[in-house]
Amino acid sequence: MTPLLELTAASKSFGPTRALTELNFQLLPGEVHALVGENGAGKSTALGLMYGVIAPDTGSVTVGSQAQQFRSTADARAAGVACVFQELSLAGGLTVAENIFAGHPRQRLGLVDWPRQRTDAAALLDEFELDIDVRKTVDSLAVSARQVVEIAKALSLDARILLLDEPTSALAPDEVDALFAIIEKLKARGIGILYVSHHLSEIFRISDRITVMRDGRKIATHHTAETTEKEIVSQMVGRLATAERVRNKRPIGEPMFRAQEMGLPGIYDDLTFDVRAGEIVGLAGLLGSRSKLIARAVAGLLPPSVGSMELGGATFAPRSLRDAIEAGIAFVPEERKTEGLFLGESNLGNLAAANLKRFRHFGLFQRKAAAEATQDAIGQLEIKTSGPEQPTGALSGGNQQKVLLAKWLETQPRLLVLNEPTKGVDIGAKLKIHEELERCASGGMAILVASSDFHELLALCDRILVVRDGRIVGETDPANFNEDDLLSVASGVQPAPAPDLEGSPS
Amino acid sequence: MTIAISSGQDRSSLLEKIARTRELTLLALIALIIVAMTFASPHFLSVANFRAISIGMTPNAIIVIGMAILLASGGFDLSVGSVMALSSTVVALLLLAGWSIPMAVAAALLVGACTGLVNGGLVTGFGINPLVATLGTMSIARGIALVMTEGFSVSSLPAEFGAVGKASLAGLPVLFWLTITMVIAFDLAVRHSAFFRQVYFIGANERAAALSGIAVSRVRIVAYVITGILAALAGVLLASRLMSGTPTAGSGLELQVLAAAVIGGASLKGGEGTILGAFLGVVFVALINNAMTMLAVSVYWQMIIIGAVLVIAVALDMMMRRRAG
Repeated sequence: MTPLLELTAASKSFGPTRALTELNFQLLPGEVHALVGENGAGKSTALGLMYGVIAPDTGSVTVGSQAQQFRSTADARAAGVACVFQELSLAGGLTVAENIFAGHPRQRLGLVDWPRQRTDAAALLDEFELDIDVRKTVDSLAVSARQVVEIAKALSLDARILLLDEPTSALAPDEVDALFAIIEKLKARGIGILYVSHHLSEIFRISDRITVMRDGRKIATHHTAETTEKEIVSQMVGRLATAERVRNKRPIGEPMFRAQEMGLPGIYDDLTFDVRAGEIVGLAGLLGSRSKLIARAVAGLLPPSVGSMELGGATFAPRSLRDAIEAGIAFVPEERKTEGLFLGESNLGNLAAANLKRFRHFGLFQRKAAAEATQDAIGQLEIKTSGPEQPTGALSGGNQQKVLLAKWLETQPRLLVLNEPTKGVDIGAKLKIHEELERCASGGMAILVASSDFHELLALCDRILVVRDGRIVGETDPANFNEDDLLSVASGVQPAPAPDLEGSPS
Repeated sequence: MTIAISSGQDRSSLLEKIARTRELTLLALIALIIVAMTFASPHFLSVANFRAISIGMTPNAIIVIGMAILLASGGFDLSVGSVMALSSTVVALLLLAGWSIPMAVAAALLVGACTGLVNGGLVTGFGINPLVATLGTMSIARGIALVMTEGFSVSSLPAEFGAVGKASLAGLPVLFWLTITMVIAFDLAVRHSAFFRQVYFIGANERAAALSGIAVSRVRIVAYVITGILAALAGVLLASRLMSGTPTAGSGLELQVLAAAVIGGASLKGGEGTILGAFLGVVFVALINNAMTMLAVSVYWQMIIIGAVLVIAVALDMMMRRRAG
């Protein structure tokens, strides 16, 4: 079979950094070819070459039988390559139909042919058997529907090659199933799909072949049926890493945080739970379960209108995040780029942002003390950076996440609240972050983690609270529970096993 | 398993939808002002007054077309008032130098196109923030106009040049008909032409537009050039009406036009707004100004009122969005 797309000995450097070294890669018709690797392994660069965002220094990109020199994404699209990016690339105020044909509207004499554009857009969406009104604005759609519009947009040019970059990052587990059904259809039509993802379980479900990259090089290409998750992980990390860590037993202390029938109409309701000193408690919920809003509530961002909270035995009634921080809470938000970090600032500046009080002496900022603290955090969390002065925006996603965690750990909180602590980070960084959270818990910190990555919660938590519609519908012990059980409780397919809504026994 | 992807639901009522269509809200407000003023002042509802209003708002109405396109693309242009003044002096000086009217006008428009090209080049080529780039060209264009004229108005222009500025058609000034024609033509073009639709993608998400194969820089530059030409046209028409080139004309006009466009539904964040809405914004502001003059409100108070209208309009809009979102 002739490959649809082929990279031959493609190399690319950015300044002194070698991003890609002699990469050979083939995408065959009708296959789903997964590209995996840690952040910084060169996946994004490879994707950029295939979609004309960047040009290789040496080596070539071949589409069909023709060597290509893409000067822009427009060239790549003309050659039949389409790409769906991790961050949705739709214009919210415009209609679905207009977004699908962005950049190449159906037109006649320079004017947009609206009726034909609507019909064609509806025809594209019809193949996915989804009921989306093409006259609606994208803003009015659910995130998952937007993802489908994004794929339809990619396919609107009769693409033969579809590049998917983390396509499930915005999807709930059941929506992932719907997406995979669509991918199967595209495969059957002979379209070649490059699938970039951090989720190995998804990759093993959907892919035919897997190419592992590390440090800008291809390590191996496997037939999915002939390899194991363990092998892939160890090739990604470059050492024999076990995906399952050994759980350390920690002493669990007195309740640090307690919620009593806490509620806020329309957001969450009747929450009664506690988090003990030295304990890591998970909030598990599907997209729309509002589990992350509960984490925000505890951090003072969505204060309850009924019920009460206690922190360290005293009444805790924050009206704002400032109040919560004052009381000894730290909150690590979900979106590190928009909510968590100042990307243009140095690591030192980011760390100091939440700790200005600590690094203040007679009203003056103590730069040296902050630099020392930053250096300590870099060592402790194994942050890959040139030092405290490097802008955080220049780091890889995993290392940015570590800086974000360090920023809040530096406040030495009694209760640490985290939303999606390892979203979009590589396995190495994920393991390090988990290790650090466990270390903090061993020191007596109480930790509350909201995550839609159930695998993560099961690996990390001492106790998991399952959330649906802003309520706690069950409590589980990770030791005798697996991902499927958790999913079925969270989606409401199966009632919770012996729900213990009164909190854990004291 | 059933497919789990739904398209979300639309909960807004018909009333809310109307309120969200800025053109309709503005039309209602404009009608309200007209009715109220008809009762409040006997001089308001007269041909003479409407002629005065329509002539007075001509420069703003022409320039707001370009500004609305720029705002939709996520940019804006502060140099429009200066470019208008510059082109009015250029056309006047060239006419005095003996150039024919078509040549002098073409040269003035070319000056506008060039400043637009410079603005667009600074913003796209050098990545200079539009605020800074057009603040610079605003000062430069005004300075050139003042240097060329040493600060004085250029008058004694040939009588034929004033024909357009003073002519009437069906009882209303030709300037008014020209403005209306341009507003309708540009509104339709921006709504329906494949080229101008790209502007909205760029304004909504520049990176995504580029990755969709849209030539972002080229579209941006064209938008600045169009705005420059429109500002220059406003300058030529002003010179024709006043029979002089005025280097100090249009100071502060850029902010009036920006305010009107925003009242008309444009957003500084980009991706939104229509030409019709922006034009209605200009009409609305012009009517309020006229009404206050009729009611003998001091000009100083008028500034306060217009500022308050702008802030209230945007605040109401933000509130509605928050409720809808």
